[in-house]
Amino acid sequence: MYSSLVRLQNTFGFFTTVAFVVALLISASDFLSPRTPTVNVLKTTQLQTVKGRADYYSSKKEEYAIIKFTLDADLSSLFTWNTKQVFAYVTAEWPSAQNNNATNQAVIWDTIITAPSSDHLGNFSPSKLKRLRKSANGKGIDPSRGKLQLKNQRLKYPLTHPTGRLANTEDVQLKLHYNVQPWVGFLSWNQVQDWGKWKALKNGLSKKFTLPAIKVKEQAKKKTTRA
Amino acid sequence: MAELLEQARDIFEGQIDFEGQKLVENLVNISLSIVGAIAFLVGYFLQDIKLAVYIGLAGTAATFLLTVPPWPIYNKNPVKWLPVAGAAPPTNIVIDEKMLR
Repeated sequence: MYSSLVRLQNTFGFFTTVAFVVALLISASDFLSPRTPTVNVLKTTQLQTVKGRADYYSSKKEEYAIIKFTLDADLSSLFTWNTKQVFAYVTAEWPSAQNNNATNQAVIWDTIITAPSSDHLGNFSPSKLKRLRKSANGKGIDPSRGKLQLKNQRLKYPLTHPTGRLANTEDVQLKLHYNVQPWVGFLSWNQVQDWGKWKALKNGLSKKFTLPAIKVKEQAKKKTTRA
Repeated sequence: MAELLEQARDIFEGQIDFEGQKLVENLVNISLSIVGAIAFLVGYFLQDIKLAVYIGLAGTAATFLLTVPPWPIYNKNPVKWLPVAGAAPPTNIVIDEKMLR
């Protein structure tokens, strides 16, 4: 500590140590707040299987599934002072035909829910940012965030299978997942079982459904009956 | 010119005496620990992480300001150097348990 430079270096060194310990405490404090995410409704409202191409010029015709679903979930308990964002997504899952253990899984919808402390990072339009700031009201936690209410929501991404066959697939289920991204600490996803104050997601799975067959055109049917 | 450089060097070096160094060491440890504790507690009870970060950074900046420049408080016990060689050698110096003259 004999010269200013040495004092500067030593003070900064201890500052980084203190910062690390404080970050550790902050991420540990997350375990003290309970997590009780719940899903009230997760069901499909419309199912369709159509034939289509991946893009305009591809020659291979594949089968695509069109699913519209309703989701009513409350993820607001996932937000603490240390939460930066919650990434929620819905996947469609069904067991593989050949291999008994494999599951086909495709994300059909997702969203990023920012916490009030990270609203400025959300790349929102000025009016939306203003609305979010108003609802947060200067506090670190906004209870209205994380409440998902989707009605008849359509797919965000095309749903198909590498084999190109998707019609009549049985035991398809919709499942809600979430990923909590903190300011400091480990990432966490939806749990399989309860861990202390953190409860697993209730009702995260929809009922099993079967994807319908491709619609046969009415004219072709009439021809066969006549003959 | 050399005088100016000497002055500049003294300012940048910022030497302080040993008692001052002890004081600075303790001050840095206590100050930063308290700042960290306050930042965490305020943030936790107000549930506001931005506030916690701002308090932490402000407290650290204050600590830097308090300990890095060579304030006069740190120079209250200057080292007593022996007189320059050439003057009469001091008597009664004991080295290796042998008295020199």
